[in-house]
Amino acid sequence: MAGSKREEQLPHWLLHAVLIVMTLVTIYPILWVLTIAFSGKQSLALVDLPAAPTTADRLRAVVPWPGHPTAANFTSVMTDQPFARWLVNSAIVALATTALGVFLACTAGYAFSRFRFPGRRVGLMSFLVSQMFPGVLTLIPLYIIVVKWLGLGSTRTGLVLCYATTAIPFCVWMLKGYFDTIPKDLEEAALIDGASAPTIFLRIVLPLAKPAIAVTALFSFMWGWNEFILAATLIDKEDMYTAPVGLGFFVGGFSQQWGYFAAGAIIVSIPVVALFFYLQKYLVSGLTAGSVKG
Amino acid sequence: MRFAVGLAVGSALAIGLAYALLAAERRQASSARYERLAVVRLRALTEAVEKFRVPSEEGLQPLLIAWKARLPGSPPARVVATQGIRLEASTFPQDVGDKAAPRRLEREEKPLFDQAARLRAAVETNRSEGALRAEEIEITKKPSGGLRLACPVERDGAVVGMVQMETPAASGRIRPNAAVALLSFAAPVALFFLLSRVAGERKGVLALLAVVLLAGALAFYALHSLRVLETDRRELETAVAEETRAQAAALPSVLAAVSASPAIHPETWDSDEFRRPRSLVKADGNLDEERLRHELGSRAAQAGKALAGVGALAMAMLAFVGFGGAARLGATLCKNREAYLYITPAILGMIVLVFFPFFYGIAISFTDQTIYTTSKPLSEIFVGLTNYAQILGDFHIARRAADGALVFNYLNFYWTFLFTVVWTICNVTIGVTVGLMLALILNTPGLALRPAYRVLLILPWAVPNYITALIWRGMFHQQFGVINQMIQIFGGQPVSWFEKPFTSFLTALTTNGWLSFPFMMVISLGALQSIPGEIYEAARVEGATRWQQFRAITLPSLKPALIPAIIISVVWTFNMFNIIYLVTAGEPAGSTEILITQAYKFAFQKYRYGYAAAYSVVIFLILLIYGTIQNRATKATEAI
Repeated sequence: MAGSKREEQLPHWLLHAVLIVMTLVTIYPILWVLTIAFSGKQSLALVDLPAAPTTADRLRAVVPWPGHPTAANFTSVMTDQPFARWLVNSAIVALATTALGVFLACTAGYAFSRFRFPGRRVGLMSFLVSQMFPGVLTLIPLYIIVVKWLGLGSTRTGLVLCYATTAIPFCVWMLKGYFDTIPKDLEEAALIDGASAPTIFLRIVLPLAKPAIAVTALFSFMWGWNEFILAATLIDKEDMYTAPVGLGFFVGGFSQQWGYFAAGAIIVSIPVVALFFYLQKYLVSGLTAGSVKG
Repeated sequence: MRFAVGLAVGSALAIGLAYALLAAERRQASSARYERLAVVRLRALTEAVEKFRVPSEEGLQPLLIAWKARLPGSPPARVVATQGIRLEASTFPQDVGDKAAPRRLEREEKPLFDQAARLRAAVETNRSEGALRAEEIEITKKPSGGLRLACPVERDGAVVGMVQMETPAASGRIRPNAAVALLSFAAPVALFFLLSRVAGERKGVLALLAVVLLAGALAFYALHSLRVLETDRRELETAVAEETRAQAAALPSVLAAVSASPAIHPETWDSDEFRRPRSLVKADGNLDEERLRHELGSRAAQAGKALAGVGALAMAMLAFVGFGGAARLGATLCKNREAYLYITPAILGMIVLVFFPFFYGIAISFTDQTIYTTSKPLSEIFVGLTNYAQILGDFHIARRAADGALVFNYLNFYWTFLFTVVWTICNVTIGVTVGLMLALILNTPGLALRPAYRVLLILPWAVPNYITALIWRGMFHQQFGVINQMIQIFGGQPVSWFEKPFTSFLTALTTNGWLSFPFMMVISLGALQSIPGEIYEAARVEGATRWQQFRAITLPSLKPALIPAIIISVVWTFNMFNIIYLVTAGEPAGSTEILITQAYKFAFQKYRYGYAAAYSVVIFLILLIYGTIQNRATKATEAI
């Protein structure tokens, strides 16, 4: 490629210019949150403007850099505010969702991949179609079932059950695809050696499917960690809020605690962003595999 | 043999269900009886309190004492006046000595005052709205098992306090006769055995015999249940009438003992929680036979409907077992038991928390369920297709105002639908354009710092979208938001973003554009990198211009990756709840709602569950149509 015709390419400085502008636009909101988080104040404005601001003042008001960086917002959001409790709620919900979701998806995915039985096609298709159910339609009955019938309103159990089941279709399809790629010979050999079906599943298939299970687990975790609207609907006790609902609470209605929001948002986002970069390539392949979740 | 099993299973199911229904009905009736007798007492006492003109220092206390003396066995009661926060009278055992009424309520008795205030508010609300929404008689269960009842006291058309009464726990439980149920189950089965000896192995005869026996047993048990229910009901009404007569006989002398005796209205005492008389007891304290018969008739019709349902179920069961369906099902389950064992947990979860809610939601969409009617059975609030007609049949999208300007009706379905379509198209266009452009730039060979740009440009995708939404809402704040600060640097005026539909739309569009372009960028980049460089080289040798290369090589190779990505992001954007809900919140006046947020508002802000469910079904149908077309186009499900 070394000798290719350079005159047809756009000059690199121009490309860099475009990229730099776009990158600035991209990271500006993130820098803005960081600035507010480290400002130590609850205010939405980056600096307090004087009554008759000059252009320099205004310029200072949009530069995302805290005047006196302090971690006060982080310490007080974790101690003065119930945010630590909300984080714990979220962590418990997300971890339990992961455990339950992976268990349900592994067993079902294995059955769909390995066995041929009446109802298999219908089951797989209905999982796919269920992804198209608008959340709001199931939200009202879910509210009635979980809160009124099961009495699980404002509990973590209720949330975990809802999250784990709503995550099933995606996880099952993903795991089924992976199980399909594991050759059957291994299992048949084990069968001849006298291994029982549960042994084959636990000792041979699951270890081989580790990478896919890890991805499924991380997806379930992110689903439980990030979900907002179901939690906001099912939970109305303040000390049972999950972190997303709590963050909305800081800046919703007449409450304007932007400092707490910013600090909390950063704390919540760090694990998600880390997971995201780790999972990125699976995300792309998994999403384009045909899931249409709203 | 199969028919015998079918008959046994079918009649066990039917009689068992009918027994359970009867038991539940009787339990309910017995607690209803207890409640209605208590309400009669409470209302009678309340009327006495209302009629009583306080003559002496002791206030109402003598009245309550006289009432209790005249009607031995009356539960303890107290009268609370909201004005002055006073306990006017009380026959509760703890209110004696220095706590004897009349006195001011103490601090720890605040719940009493609160309840009186609540009842007053309830009466006033119902009156001002002209509807019966808040309960005017409060009945709560005490932990010990009795009831605590409270009724507002009115003087000259205004609520001035309340009468509260506590009844002891009801004693004794009524169970339906199990022997009758057992008999109606065992008799047909035994008969079937006997008769099948006679009939031999002829299938048709056996089937007919089984059906006849099942129907007979059911009819017998149904008649029995109806009779039991009718007797119960008659007893209940008689008891209510008796209590009314007892109170009516006692009240004049109670009132006479302390003051004058005005006319009383016993026919109003037996009332529901909105103080509406049930009108089964006449003014003279006797039962209104005609009305009672009418009531009994309508109750019997309801019970008959339920029993008919049970019967149909039993017949289906009989047929299923009798004609071998159950055997085949059992065999299938047995043969594939391992597979079914593996999928049972997941399927169970899906059925309870995904599929059942979905179908229940569809059922709700045919009713006018609101927050006030969630406890009513769906059949009572069935309205057919009314909700759908209201949603889809309303074409009043816009009207001309007096000055000729167009005024849009933002709550109209078609406005929201149009807005959602525009919103989706704009977002996907922006996402694809920006994402593709950046991918093409990042794919330039030899460009420095590519990995760094890539990581930074992907960040918006990684941030949870509800956080993104809240951040942008803060940045678009009219007074303190940085966007308006930037506008002011360039000499502009601050914009109040959420006051006009168009600017409000822009904020949501910006937010969603910001978070959605990285997805398209990553997809395009992946596809671009899989194009071998030799193809371009060959094209260049052929003398193709850069534009020709793009048209002939780049675009076609992007297509297989980009089209599925576009299809998905259309659905995502169409349903992008968090952004609209958190950034614009539909401001101004619901003009920037998309379908999904509009449905949510109908459900959880206006509490019109039925209407919201119908709205969601419409959304589902739109998505289903879209999905079907998409499936046709891509044949994505071929590989199952």
